[in-house]
Amino acid sequence: MKIIIIGAGEVGYNLAMKLSKEGHDVVVIDHDPEKVRHIDETLDVKGVLGKGSSPGVLKAAGIGEAEMVIAVTDSDEINMVACLIAGTQSKIPKRIARIRNLEYTEESQIFDEQHLDIDLCINPEMETAKTILRLLEYPGSADFAEFADGKVELIGVRIEEDSYVVGKRLKELREVRDRFPDLKVLIVAISRNDRILIPNGEETIFMGDILYAVLDRHSIRNVLAYLRKKEEPVKRVFIGGGSHIAFEVARQLQDRGITIRMIEKDPARCQRMAESLEKVLILQGEITDQRLLREEGVEESDFFVSASDDEDANILASLLAKRLGARKTITLVRHLHYLPVLPTIGIDAVVSPRLSAIGRIMHYIRKGKILSVATLKEEDAEVIETVALDTSDIVNRPIKELKFPKGALIGAVVRGEDVIIPGGNDIILPNDRVVIFALQSAIPKVEKTLMVKLEYF
Amino acid sequence: MRLGMIFRITGALIFFLGVTMIFPLLFSLYYQDGDLWALGVSMAITMGTGALLFLIFRRTDQEISHREGFVIVVLGWASAAFFGSLPYMLAGVLPTFVEAYFEATSGFTTTGATVLAAIEGAPRGILFWRSLTHWLGGMGIIVLSIAILPFLGVGGMQLFKAEVPGPVADKLKPRVAETAKILWKVYILISGAETLLLMAGGMNLYEALCHTFGTMATGGFSTRNISIGSYDKAYFDGVIVVFMILAGTNFSLHYRALTGDFRTFYRNSEVRFYWITLGGAMVFVTLILWVETYDTLATAFRYASFQVTSIMTTTGYTTADFEKWPSFVQYSLVVLMFVGGSAGSTGGGMKCMRILLLLKQGRRELSRLIHPHGVIPVRLGGQVVSEGVIQSVWGFFFLFILVFVFTSVAMSLLGLDIVTAFVSVAATINNIGPGLGAVGPMDNYTSIPVIGKWILIFCMLIGRLELYTIIVLMVPEFWRR
Repeated sequence: MKIIIIGAGEVGYNLAMKLSKEGHDVVVIDHDPEKVRHIDETLDVKGVLGKGSSPGVLKAAGIGEAEMVIAVTDSDEINMVACLIAGTQSKIPKRIARIRNLEYTEESQIFDEQHLDIDLCINPEMETAKTILRLLEYPGSADFAEFADGKVELIGVRIEEDSYVVGKRLKELREVRDRFPDLKVLIVAISRNDRILIPNGEETIFMGDILYAVLDRHSIRNVLAYLRKKEEPVKRVFIGGGSHIAFEVARQLQDRGITIRMIEKDPARCQRMAESLEKVLILQGEITDQRLLREEGVEESDFFVSASDDEDANILASLLAKRLGARKTITLVRHLHYLPVLPTIGIDAVVSPRLSAIGRIMHYIRKGKILSVATLKEEDAEVIETVALDTSDIVNRPIKELKFPKGALIGAVVRGEDVIIPGGNDIILPNDRVVIFALQSAIPKVEKTLMVKLEYF
Repeated sequence: MRLGMIFRITGALIFFLGVTMIFPLLFSLYYQDGDLWALGVSMAITMGTGALLFLIFRRTDQEISHREGFVIVVLGWASAAFFGSLPYMLAGVLPTFVEAYFEATSGFTTTGATVLAAIEGAPRGILFWRSLTHWLGGMGIIVLSIAILPFLGVGGMQLFKAEVPGPVADKLKPRVAETAKILWKVYILISGAETLLLMAGGMNLYEALCHTFGTMATGGFSTRNISIGSYDKAYFDGVIVVFMILAGTNFSLHYRALTGDFRTFYRNSEVRFYWITLGGAMVFVTLILWVETYDTLATAFRYASFQVTSIMTTTGYTTADFEKWPSFVQYSLVVLMFVGGSAGSTGGGMKCMRILLLLKQGRRELSRLIHPHGVIPVRLGGQVVSEGVIQSVWGFFFLFILVFVFTSVAMSLLGLDIVTAFVSVAATINNIGPGLGAVGPMDNYTSIPVIGKWILIFCMLIGRLELYTIIVLMVPEFWRR
């Protein structure tokens, strides 16, 4: 499929890298010659210099044959105009735009077929706010994704030193699981020292590992309770910074009976926040101000969410809050190149608007062929959800007889309302939804095995 | 630097080169000139070594880094010339290693400088191989590999840039492999057209192919001792002139023209510069030859247009002994050697694009003197050229002069006269072939001493790979971790 990406910023660059690696022909448009040169040289994609909203530039980028346009520049207006113009140049089947301003997304009829005709609007801030709320809801998980309409979940759990499972082998965990027939869970991967490995039963669990598990929705609390020490329910939350994301998180949390304190340094913004967030205590000051944090009782807080617009301050504030006694932290980071180092310095959970946007777009692109996808550890591994086709090699025979590629395994099968964590003797039937865990290198082979044709729409 | 991967890719390249030896082998079978054994053994050695290297070194899926790209390209070219020299040595045509290596390098780099004294006496299979090396080297062995070997796709851009001439490489399609495929398809298509036209004029398939290879790659090897002049047929001269001009033009533009966009030639300012320079030189030389050497304007035009095109596109075919022409013409031809064809073509030299950018940059400096506060970008075809490109062109120009000075002084140190020392380097570093003095159109490079031949081999390679790729390997920093 030929895809045109407008904007070679971090989101555009990472999308181009992923899409090109998956075999799509990618052209990237940006007006910054340095960015175009960089993307042209480092990726197997074509860079075109110019404004994404210019008809001539779009034509030069080959809009005539493109099947999808993804506008991810920093400007909402340019993204919208680019999609509009792309539509007038040729009948592009799919158009995706990154739209930040909530005023636009609330007027969603402007994106319908009569007007801009944009198929998917991505609001990275909103996606991030959703992620943060999810992390607050299930405190032990460092990472998660939903599959099969939420029936199956993927969670990543960081193993702390006081966890019951440290030093245990995976097969011991499996024995525990088998004693409870209601517990439907499969540990699919371990992330250790920044690398993802697919463990066998002999693998020992160490402190600091992140276990990735595919599991039934109803099993989450029990599994989390087993893997970690008992979690207290969330009662007190500190939010550092008064950004859009922070506002959205606070707005949705305030009605759940949680005590929320928000710190923001800009007095005018504090005023606005205080006016619109009735049940939130707004504090004016720096989020890295130790005295302020201590005065307001950060040591008793269950969560410290650093979500200001300054990512460096966020990282510092999270470290500080943790040292002062906050139970958990969530840190908002904008630049993706920080991500690999953050767990090593003790940051628990990291969210990034860009990562959220990339994940959402990749998810959308694979729709049709693959129902849902989640990326672990930026790009090392993915969890794919798909429907087993009649024609596929995987149906109607025991799983142990399948020639499944190395680096991939079947995590869960959803048949109607039932969630099955399959063993070697289970059989996949046509129209089952299958959740597959795969390392990046195994994905092409997995796709081949699934016998899904290369047409995407 | 992951040597294993470098050897593995080079191995694939060498194996592939061995496969192409099947074509001269077929001609050898047909003509039975006694070179069958030499070609067969060369082919076996080449393919065997390539396969061995490819299989010994484990595969890695990792991308080729910037630096590894340079090493692969240089190693690939050096070993292509090595294995390409086997047929000459085994057939006994050129028994010494230095001469065989010289001839092979001259072939792959599309120079066309020869140490083969009696061309017509050589077996035809060998001569076909000699011309084929031109054709392979013209569009580039690396570019061909990128088009064919799928595992070069990612990271192939590094290799592509290192081999394709010109300051900026043009991606026609989002993927490098697709771009490489298109360039080769266009190359094959135009070559096919020339072969047919030459056959229509009376050449047999073998001769037509050999001369097509020499023209399309802007190489210059012929199957005759006195080159195209031996046919003495205006039709051949005309056809070859047209295809030399095409070969010296950016192949991306040929692709666009073939897909229906003919105005692309007119819009491209580099091509305009190339055609105007070429046309202007033709007119001047024609007029002078008409006055000084030839009787009729038509004859003057015939020889002038052929020789000017042949030299400027860096082909090096000859139809006349231009050493007998007035010294103004000879000197102009030497100047044209340095200009060369356009970027993205098979031609050598410094490339029109660079000359044009240097001219524009020079003019900008003058404008800056007049308007000290002016912000004056350099434009090419309406597009602003980035400062990075201009700096790289300046760097190229300086290094080119530097290498030229050192090598030509070294040649004079070997006892060659000034004209020969100067022009032999000019004719090899610009990938032309025939020069003046002892290496004139009616002579060859046999008389150059052994050390001189090695210097010229270096010049040919550094000229084809456009300096940076090779010089960067000589910088100690490159090898440091």
